[in-house]
This record gives sequence, C-alpha cells and structure tokens, in this order.
Amino acid sequence: MLSRRDELLIGLGVMVIGAAVLWWIIPNYIATPRRVPIPALSPAFWPKIIAWTIILCGAVLSVRAVLAPTPPDAVVDDLSVTRPEGLRLLALGVILLGIYFALPIVGMVWVSMIAFALLVLLSGGKHLIWGMIAAVVLPLLLYFFFTKVAGVAIPQGQIVRLP
Amino acid sequence: MTFIEALSAGFVMVAQWESILFLALGVTIGVVAGAIPGMSATMAVALTLPFTFALQPIFGILLLLGVYKGGIFGGSIPAILIKTPGTPASSATALDGYPMAEQGRAGEALSMSLYASCIADLISNLALIVFAAWLASFALNFGPPEMFTLIVFSLTIIAGVSGDSLIKGVVAAALGLLLATIGLDFIAGTERLTFGSVDMRGGLNFIAVLIGLFALPEIIAYMRKSAAQDHRVRGMGYSRLKLADFRRSLKSIFRGSAIGVFLGAIPGIGAAPSAFLSYSEARRASPNRDNFGKGEVEGVAAAEAGNNGVAGATLIPLLSLGIPGDVITAIIIGAFMVHNLTPGPLLFVNNADLVYALFIGLIASSFLLLIIGSVAIRAFRYIADVPSNLLFPGVLVLCIFGVYAVNNSVFDVAVMLLMGVVGYIMLILRFPAAPFLIGFILGPMLENNFRQALLMSRGDFSIFARGPITILFLCMTVISVVLIIRSTVKAARLKRELGAYGKKSAMQGPET
Repeated sequence: MLSRRDELLIGLGVMVIGAAVLWWIIPNYIATPRRVPIPALSPAFWPKIIAWTIILCGAVLSVRAVLAPTPPDAVVDDLSVTRPEGLRLLALGVILLGIYFALPIVGMVWVSMIAFALLVLLSGGKHLIWGMIAAVVLPLLLYFFFTKVAGVAIPQGQIVRLP
Repeated sequence: MTFIEALSAGFVMVAQWESILFLALGVTIGVVAGAIPGMSATMAVALTLPFTFALQPIFGILLLLGVYKGGIFGGSIPAILIKTPGTPASSATALDGYPMAEQGRAGEALSMSLYASCIADLISNLALIVFAAWLASFALNFGPPEMFTLIVFSLTIIAGVSGDSLIKGVVAAALGLLLATIGLDFIAGTERLTFGSVDMRGGLNFIAVLIGLFALPEIIAYMRKSAAQDHRVRGMGYSRLKLADFRRSLKSIFRGSAIGVFLGAIPGIGAAPSAFLSYSEARRASPNRDNFGKGEVEGVAAAEAGNNGVAGATLIPLLSLGIPGDVITAIIIGAFMVHNLTPGPLLFVNNADLVYALFIGLIASSFLLLIIGSVAIRAFRYIADVPSNLLFPGVLVLCIFGVYAVNNSVFDVAVMLLMGVVGYIMLILRFPAAPFLIGFILGPMLENNFRQALLMSRGDFSIFARGPITILFLCMTVISVVLIIRSTVKAARLKRELGAYGKKSAMQGPET
C-alpha cells in the first residue's frame, strides 16, 4: 500500500498525462481530415475518449487519496530509492541504452555477451565463472538457432562477423 | 469441411512426431519455468513466443499451449516445497501443501498435485471441445455492432485482472487502448501519434510490448534489489500417496474441475479465484475440514483442480470469439497473429483442421503433463538452484533476440526496452500490467468494429441496440459494471474499517 501523499501525486500525475494527451498530443500529432461527415469516425475520436477517461480516473484517484484514512506506517510501502539502488538502476539504464545504440554497430551477439556479463557483475558477481560461460554460450546458441533454423538475419555489426 | 473431415485432418496434423515433440518440449519448458522462483507461466509463454515464428502454425501453437499447461502445474512445486507460489493461483496449493512438506509428506502432496492437475486439465480440455465449436457457430452471425458490444463487455474483464485498485486497472487499460491507436488510421489513412516516425506507422509490435511489459520489469526489479533470496527447499520425504487418499479426494477434484471450467470460460476471472473457491468448497464439504490448512491432502487436490480446470476453459472465448480469457491467452493470440490466423468464429470455418488438431493436442498434453510432471517433481532441487543473477541476464538476452526476430527490427527492441521501463514504473506505482495488455489487444478490435458499425448505419448510434444479441451484451455489461462497482465499494469500506481498527489498536499501545 502506498502512502496518501504518493497516491495523491499519482492521481495528479495521471490527470496531467490525460490533459497532455487531450490538449497537446492529439491536436499536434493526429492528422484529421478537414471534413469528417460523422464526428465519431474522426481519427481523433477514440483518443479523445481515452484521454477523458484517463483524466476522470486521475481525478477519482486524487479524490480517493484525499478522502481515504491514513494507513498505518507499518503497511505503507516506501517509494524512495536508496543510493546503491539508484546507482544500480542508473547503471542498468546505461546498459539498456547501450544495447540499443550498439546493436547496429557491434552486432547482436557481441552486445548480448557484453550485456550479460555486465549484468552478472552488476548483481554482485556471484557465480562469476558460470556467468561468463553463459554470457558467451547463450548468445551464440540463440544466434545459431535464429540464423540457421529460423532464417532470421541477426544484425552482425561492423566489427567481427560470425559465419 | 464436415466435423468428421475436420477431426480426421486435425488428427493427421497431430499424428506427426514433431507435434508431440513440440508439445512435450512446451510442457517441459512450462514446468521448469513455473518451478523456478521468480519466473512465471506468463513470462515463460511470452519468452517462448518468438521461437514459434520459424515453426509451422500447429507446432508453434502446440508449443505455447504446452508451456501454458506446464507453467500452471509447475507453479505448484515451489508452492509446496518452499512456500513460494510460482503463480498467484498456486497460493491456494501452498495452504496445505507446505504444511505437508513440513511434516515430511512433500512427495505425497506433489503426487496429489500432479494427479489433480492432470485430471482437471483433461476435464477442462473436454469442456473446451464441447463448448468452443458451439459458441463459434453462434458467433458466426455476429456483425460489427455485435462484436463491438461483445468487446465492450469483454473489457469488464479488466476488473478481474486489476488487483487491488480497479481505477488503476482502468487507467492502465486506457493507456493500452491509447497505445493501440498508434499508426495509420484505417478509414482516413492519416497518421496517428506516430510523431513523424516511419517505424510507428504500422503501430507498435504486439510482441515487443508484451515482452517489455512482462519480462523486463522483473529484471529491473531484481537488479535494483540485487539480493539473491535463499529458498529453504524441503526434502521429498518418504511418504507416498495412498490410493485411499486419492479416492476420497476424487470428489473434490471433480468439483474443483467443474468450478475451474465455469470460471475459466468467463473472461477475466482467472485461475486464482477458481483455486480458492474450489479449496473453500472442498473444506466446506469435507469430513476432514478441521485438518484443512494443517496439511490435508484433499486441500491440495481441490486447489490444484480449481487451478488447472481453468486452463482449457480460458481457450473457449479465445478460440470461439477471439477474446482472451486471461493474460496468458492474450499472449497466445500473438502466436495466431504471427501465423496470419485470427482467433474467432471464422477460425472454425477456414482452419477447422487446425482447431481440431489443437483440441487433440491439448488432450495429449494432459498425458504428457503426467509424465513430465513426475520427473520434474524429482528434479526440482536442481531447477530451483538456478542462480537469479544468471537467470535474469539470460532472460534479457532471450528478450533481445526474440523481439528482434519478429520483424528484423531494431526499433522493436527499442520499444521493448522502453515498455520495460514503463512496466517497471507501473509495477512500483501499483498499476497492473495485465489490463494494459488487454486494452492494447482489444483496442483495435473495439475501434474498428465501432467505426464499421457507424459506417453501416451512417452515423446512427441506435445500431448498437439493433437486435437481441447487442441488447444482451449491453445488459451484461451494465450488470457486470454494477457488480464490479458494488464489490469495489464493499472492499473499500472493509479496508477503511480495518484501517480504523489498526489505527485504534496502534493508539492503544502494545499493553492492551
């Protein structure tokens, strides 16, 4: 269970998302023909209904958070992130971004090997030898399955190419 | 194609060694994945999905159905041995299974769990065969207005998968519906929410979204905490299931199977309520009701029968109406889509051989589960020992390869990674992911049928009440919404009373 303050912030955040969709994203990023004979057939019709639903739900969440009794501290979950957790999340974010940008250059197999090894190290480095073996073997097995069995052209990158 | 012709053609499709091999492989993967603490049947089905592209439709779908069936049973193994249910529905199994393991009767509990699972699974599959074709023949008369009202009714399934907060479930579903509108508008042909990206014109890849939502958040959550949990695995013990115990539990197994079939056929209810209802009914009716919760073998049988009785029945709305019965069947829709098959009444007309092959394959899966499950019970110690810090990096690598292979698209990998972050934020803010996925799947069907109906009626909304079928679905929707609101208000009131009681006790202090 989250605290009342967190639930209120979530409710307000949901309303902001709904409002942004309704008044910024839909007018700017949904192209509607000049004349739509039936308004319900407009490309913006459903997104608008969805945006209003989100705003309404956000309002209900906010009101509920305000009216609800304060839960006992023992059952409230803390959303705060400790420094080590934050650092690990940051490192994971960098790894995930790195995977996306390195895929076309380094190739999927090598990127997967590096990502696997980095994640093993990030999670404390236990079973390091098995981790390194798995980091090499698993991407190679998947490469051979998808390339040779499924006929999928796995990105090879521009550095080292596999057969 | 007549019934006999379709059945014969289906039998020919299944009677290939590859069909049995992929089905057995699927059951094995499912049992192993379900038995690994931290993995779930949902994640296993999502991760197996990309591997089905290279296979013939029948092999691919049988593989996934095998994973589904195996995963549901597999979840009961850690529930009994380490009190860590592999699936939410296995929580009911842990109520009596774990006390039995503590008494050194784990072997007895696991054997009963396996037999109850297989019997319930078989009954559920037979129900699927009987009811799916009948429902599909009825649904053949549906036009866009009927489909629209049916999907609106199906959206009330969100209540069943919303967890603690219905409103958060509705928000998640709305976000899924919004995400489904990305791409080219099918009437005007204009771009919607593509932000100028060519990759987004075809909409977001369903598999990238689902793998991102269901697999990556677990990896992020693990990496954040990065604390390997030590599981204390109970020994198997030397007790064996006695025939007398099995015979006296049969009534509970059949009752649980019937409950599972009934609740499974209703979209959105899922296995957990079925398992608990079956358990409570067994306790109410049993002469040994005082032993329930302390290690009663009949409790394990009832819970597992309720849990597995759902498995075949959830495929009834999927195959006959194209509506997913729960999250896993929502993922299985992906396998049909990959092979250009559309679940629904027309599947029974255009691909009757495939449908009957699936039915025969499902019956075979119950027997395979019996064999593979009994081996898995003995091998659990090794399965549970897979270190989490090797498991989760492996899952990430599987996700990357699998998602890329769908469309040979690096953009899909980006979508998956982004959806993983979205899924993790939803996880920590207590937004359920299942309604998001259901909204994403049903969104295009909902909108397309709505617009087709309005095109037919030239904008006249009365088309949505044009006949008894649409009126029936609208009435069912209203009743369903009223019941959901009533139960939500009741639950909120109970929570408030408990909260007030908790506060009062805290103020009175520990002395009182």
